[in-house]
Parts: sequence; structure tokens; C-alpha cells
Amino acid sequence: MKALLAAVLFAAGSALAGTVGQPAPDFTLADVSGKPVKLSDFRGRYVVLEWVNPECPYVEKHYGSANMQGLQKEFTSKQVVWLSINSTREGHYEYYPPQKMAGWMKQVGGAPSATLLDPSGKVGRAYQARTTPHMYIVDPKGMLVYAGGIDDKRSTSQADVKTAKNFVRAAMGEALAGKPISAASTPPYGCSIKY
Amino acid sequence: MRTSLSARRGLLLLAAAALLGTAGLETPATAAPVRTDLVEAELVAEHGAPEPGKPLTVGLRLRAAKGWHTYWRNPGDSGQPTSIEWLLPSGYTAGPIQWPVPEKLPIGPLANYGYENEVLLLTDLAVPPGAKAPASLGARVKWLVCNPERCIPESAELSLALAGPAGPTQWAKAIDYAREALPEPAGAGWSFKASGAAGGVGLEIAPPADFSAKTLHFFPYEEGKVRHAASQALERRDGGLRLFVPAVEQPLGGFQRLHGVLVADGVRGFEIDVPVKGAVLAQVAGAATVASIGLLAALALAFAGGLILNLMPCVLPVLSIKVLGFARGHSAQEMRAHGLFYGAGVLASFLALAALLIALKAAGSAVGWGFQLQSPVFVGLLALLFTALALNLSGVFEFGSLVPARLAGATAKHPHADAFLTGILAVVVASPCTVPFMGAALGYALTESALVALAVFAALGTGMAAPYVLLAFEPRWLRRLPKPGPWMVTLKRWLALPLYATVAWLLWVLSIQVGIAGAQPEKDLWQPYSEARVAELVAQGKPVFVDFTAAWCVTCQVNKQLVLSRPETERDFAERGVVLLRADWTREDPEITRALASLGRNGVPVYVLYRPGREPRLLPEILTREVLQGALADLKS
Repeated sequence: MKALLAAVLFAAGSALAGTVGQPAPDFTLADVSGKPVKLSDFRGRYVVLEWVNPECPYVEKHYGSANMQGLQKEFTSKQVVWLSINSTREGHYEYYPPQKMAGWMKQVGGAPSATLLDPSGKVGRAYQARTTPHMYIVDPKGMLVYAGGIDDKRSTSQADVKTAKNFVRAAMGEALAGKPISAASTPPYGCSIKY
Repeated sequence: MRTSLSARRGLLLLAAAALLGTAGLETPATAAPVRTDLVEAELVAEHGAPEPGKPLTVGLRLRAAKGWHTYWRNPGDSGQPTSIEWLLPSGYTAGPIQWPVPEKLPIGPLANYGYENEVLLLTDLAVPPGAKAPASLGARVKWLVCNPERCIPESAELSLALAGPAGPTQWAKAIDYAREALPEPAGAGWSFKASGAAGGVGLEIAPPADFSAKTLHFFPYEEGKVRHAASQALERRDGGLRLFVPAVEQPLGGFQRLHGVLVADGVRGFEIDVPVKGAVLAQVAGAATVASIGLLAALALAFAGGLILNLMPCVLPVLSIKVLGFARGHSAQEMRAHGLFYGAGVLASFLALAALLIALKAAGSAVGWGFQLQSPVFVGLLALLFTALALNLSGVFEFGSLVPARLAGATAKHPHADAFLTGILAVVVASPCTVPFMGAALGYALTESALVALAVFAALGTGMAAPYVLLAFEPRWLRRLPKPGPWMVTLKRWLALPLYATVAWLLWVLSIQVGIAGAQPEKDLWQPYSEARVAELVAQGKPVFVDFTAAWCVTCQVNKQLVLSRPETERDFAERGVVLLRADWTREDPEITRALASLGRNGVPVYVLYRPGREPRLLPEILTREVLQGALADLKS
């Protein structure tokens, strides 16, 4: 019953959020050093939002294969802002406090512009983020232009990264070339976010 | 660290089985189950040996630890379907996994589709004509096993030696049972129609005559279209069913068909593939906030709505008589008792109405707030009641002269009963008046549990009774009223006027309901509403304005006169090419009730502006030209 109520409220509360072609919901979240980071401060640049949870096998796949770090480096070098967001609730045993999260990101050689914590799940819900990873792209005007998966190979096998079609790379490539994004919505896959 | 737990033991078994096979020993189909941390996995076969040229059914048995689950072909919001890579003797081919009926497994605000406990995934193998009798089957199996807190990918290499007698194995019965329980195509005897609506797809179902089910749920094969976690409302109508399947905001690749399994009572599955007519419309902006206002806000809104009800033209005259009655000087104690009994009457009536509404909804009728007024009988009785009240105020008769003396005497003798009845009367006469934001509170109430709905209605009643009860407890405030005198008679005569107006209006409503006045010849500007028409127009990229209205709804009529029917408004609409649709709820209409529900509302008026390429917008219940003009101006940008 409680779950149902939560589902109803969730469904209702986010009816318009996280929709491609609509303004991306603005947010301010603290990064792992406690510094507030506001999405709308990055107007004029592309912003990639990556939902992350170090304890998730699907996240392990993309960090273990250096796929995610590679994307982060590739696009931050092109003036794209990359925000990695962990929406695991505080109290869940997979929750990483700021220091631990910072340590993990450093250890895996991650290179996002910022690693943000969203323990209330407010931002995750606003974007209707369901899985880790779940990827979004916000354009320089603040519109959401991509929402979906990281690639088309739903698995935890690192070997699949090489043969998969990477949706984020394709979408960012098109966006930076000034072309419309051909696959703007794709199915995300991964672990459920621990709201 | 959570790494893939590959069951190496399976490899050894495979080797052992191969050995057994070549040795040609007559043993039954064997395979030891492989156990990972959370799952026991095993291949089983229907027959002990392959028969050349005949299909052989094998099963992958997965038994998850308590509280853990594996996944269906569409895993839902997260997760991964179990996969099998067959390692078969040459000439064998494997068909697809035959998925049993899944369960919906909620995970916080999300949901997975899968299997708790044990599942038997069947696959039909084609055995080549030249197949040799002892054979060994192998499979690389991958699955994701999850509980609501964590997920672990696992895999195993499984094997099965088919070296026994050709007859049924010990698993034959279980396999047969699993086969029987597989979803069957919904074939002859079924018919379906699916159409896009606000926030989802309405699936009209005409089942075979002998079909009955308490619950129905549609599980889609494709991801990214259906809102996996949402409950699907089932409505029963004469001879048919209607299932509302909520959609995600942006169905991946559009919502062209409902392809998946319709599950009855959680066990029987019927495979369907129904084309969806018309577009799935976005949820309306504002509707979201309405449904998510939360209990406290809903209670507060209901209380305020109740207070305002007292000022409505249908209620005020009745209540003022009562207040004036107070002024006749009762003892403080009597007055308090009066106030409390009046309050109890109001509360009891609202709770009774709520209970009736909940019961009707539970029985599957599509009803909403104001449903009483959709009955011509009720409207007729209300007209009579108002006539009596008005005549009474005009001094044509005193109740005593009409009502048998005994009853009139009873009123005097039982002032408490009188106060209680006045409370009921107040609620009855208030029913034609919907108040701003009462729509929101009641819309919220009726989407929640019965208990919440009752609480909201109780808050409404408390709000309505509050001023009168307070006056009863604080008679000092009453003293500020002028002293009783002949002026009261004059006031009563004047107060009768709104009541006569109410009677005239009720008769007008009645005449429409029973068809004397017929459907009012609307100007051609307004077309009748239907979900399909909205979907069609929106698909054409036209802006659409929908007026949800009813003849018995005062606010609706006021808005119509002051705003919607004004020539300048009509001009504004025409300039922007807005198509005007009117949804008339004067009589019961399940389609309109449903549309209201999808907007988070349960009463009229409701005004919606569908904007091409953007989410629709809900306009306030008290409509002004400025608000409408603003909304229309916004269309251009």
C-alpha cells in the first residue's frame, strides 16, 4: 500500500519532468566536497548527467572497462560539463557518504566535472531516473535533448562495451556537430536506483 | 566486491555428462543442480532420451532464495531477463524461451517484472532425424537475481545427460504443468480496442462469455512505453471491461500497439497485440500538482472549501434563517447542543455521500463528485425542496400549517433532531455548488484509499459546519446582529428570491436531463468532446480547448456567461485557430468521468488547453478573460 502510494505520488509528481524536448528541471546539489553545484549555472554549455552507484554491477561494468571514464574525459575536454549523480538514499547500505564517494571516483580514475550527492532522491525523481547508469544530456539553452541508456548491450559483461552502440557518444557527437540527435530517447538499463 | 559468480562446477558436470553419453550407459536424464549464492539452477527434460525428428521440451529451473527474484522478458524499470545460450549436439536447434506469466514486483517508486521463488523456463528443442539416443545438452545461462535492495548478476554452465529410457522423466509432469500455465494467445471469443487518452491507453476488452476475473494487469513486451509501476484501473461495463494502462511521459518510439500479456487474477495469461488508435496525450500540467498535494494540503483545502460553501447562493438563505433563529434567545446550553447537532448532521451527510461514492466506485461505476445531480429524480426532488423553502420564506405557509401537526410538534419537542436535520438539509442544498479548489481536494480524495477519502470529506463537513458551531459556542458574536424585529420578515422575503432562482435553474437542468429542452443547439463553435477527437486534433498539431461542464454546475454556467460565450472570447479562440470541445457531464458519462480522473479531478468545471508540442495546461475553475487570454497568448511562443 505504501509502495503504491509512493508510486502514485511519484508518477504524479514528476509527470512533466525529465522529458526530452522540455526544459531540464533545474537543481542545486552539493558535490562531494560540499560545494553547491547548480545546473542552470552551466547555461551556454552542454551538460551530461550520469546517474551512478558504485555498488551496482552495471556501473562496475562501465567503470571496470574504463568506458565511463573515457567518455568523461572525451567530452569534458570539449567544454562539456559532466555531472555524476548518486541518488542512493542515506541509510541504504549502498549509500556512499561524500568522502567515500570522492575516494571511489578518484580510485577508478573518473573525470566528471563534479560528483554530486542526491540522498533525498529529489533530483533523480525529477528526471525520472530509474537505473544506474541512466544518462541525460542538457543543451546550452537548458533543454533536455537526450534521456536513456548508455548503450544498447544490456549486460554486466565488460566485453560487451566494445561491440555496443554507445548512445551517449552518438548523441553528443551529433549535438556538438550541430545536428539533431537521431536517438534522443533510448531504454536505460541497470540496477534500480535505491531511492 | 560483487563479481560474477560463475559456477565452474557446471563445466565439470558437462564433461562428466559427455563421458556418460559416449559410454552409452542407461541412466535417466540427469543433471545435478548448480547452486550459486542465491539461486539453484538446473536443466530438466520432459523425456529421458531424444527421439529423432521429434521435438523435445527442456526446462531451465531457477530457484531464487527467499525474497529474491529473477526476470521476465521485459524486466520492467531495471534488471535483466534471464538468457540461455545453448550448447547442443549438431543438428539440434533451440526455440525461444517460453516465458510464464510474470509478477509485478514493486521497488520503491519503480517496479520489476519477474519471478520470485521458483520458475521453470521452457524451451522446445528440434531434434534432427538422425539424432543418436544418448545425448548431452549444455547451456550457458545468465541471470540477474535481485531483491528490493540489491542485484547480483550470476551465471552458470549447465548440462543435461539424455541417456535414459525414452519415456517421461520425473520432470515430465512439472513441464506439462508449466506448459499449461503459459500465456495463451487471446484468440476466438476475445475482442479488443485500444485508444490513446490523457496519460495512457484505454483498452476496451470484450472477453468470451465464460470469462471472469477479479483483477487484470497488462504486462508489455516492450520497455519504455507503459509505466511499469503504475496500477491499471479496471472498469466494468455492461458486457465488457476497460483497462486503463498508464504510459510513461515519452513513450519510446511512440505508443502504437499494446503487445504483451494480459494477466487475469495474477495467474492466467492471454497474449495480445492490439493497435492503439490516436495519440497518447501528455498528462496535463497542474493535474500533477493536484494529485500530489498530499493529505494535509487536501484536508486544509477541503476545510476551506467547506467554509466557502456557506456563502453559496443556494446555502446562504437556508443558513441565515437558522442564524436568525438563534437570535430568538435560547439558553447557552441549548444553543451549544443545537450547534453540535447541526454539525453532526452536516458531517454525517458528507460521510454518507463519501461512503456512497466510494461504494459506487468500488463496484466499478465511473462516478464523480456531483454524481447525485446527474439523476433527474434527485434534481426533481431538489426543485420541490427549494420550492417549499422559498414559499416558506415568502410567508406563503409556515411549515406547521403544511406538515401534519404531530410532526411539527415533534420538531418543537425535539430541537436536537431539528438541528441535525438542518445539517442534512444544508448539505443537500449545497450539492449543486462546487467551490474553487474543492475539485482538487475531492479529486485527491477519490484517488486515494477509502479512509483518506472519508477524512477529506469529513474536513469538508467540518469546514461547512464550523461557522455555525462557533456561533453557537460564542453567542457574544451573535449579539452584534441586529435585534429581532419586523425587519426579519422583510429579510426573509428577500432571501426567498435566490431560492426561487435556484428552483428555476433546477427545472432548467431537469428539462435538459429528461430531454424536453433537448440538447441545447450549441453554436457550431463548440463540438462534442471525445478522447478520440482530442487525440486526433492534437495529432494534427491543432490547439484544443476543452470545457468540462454540466448544466447543474453553477460555477460552470457563470464562467460560460461571463467568459466563454462572450463574443470577444470567441474571437480570441478563432484568431488562434483553437478547436473548442465541450464535455457535457449533465448526465452520467463514463468517458468524461474517466477523462476528469486522468486530470486528477472528480467534478466540474475543468478547463484544459491542449497545446501542440507542449504539455496541456489546466486553467483555474474560476475563469477570467485575463487568465484565458494569457493562456492563449502563451500558445504563440
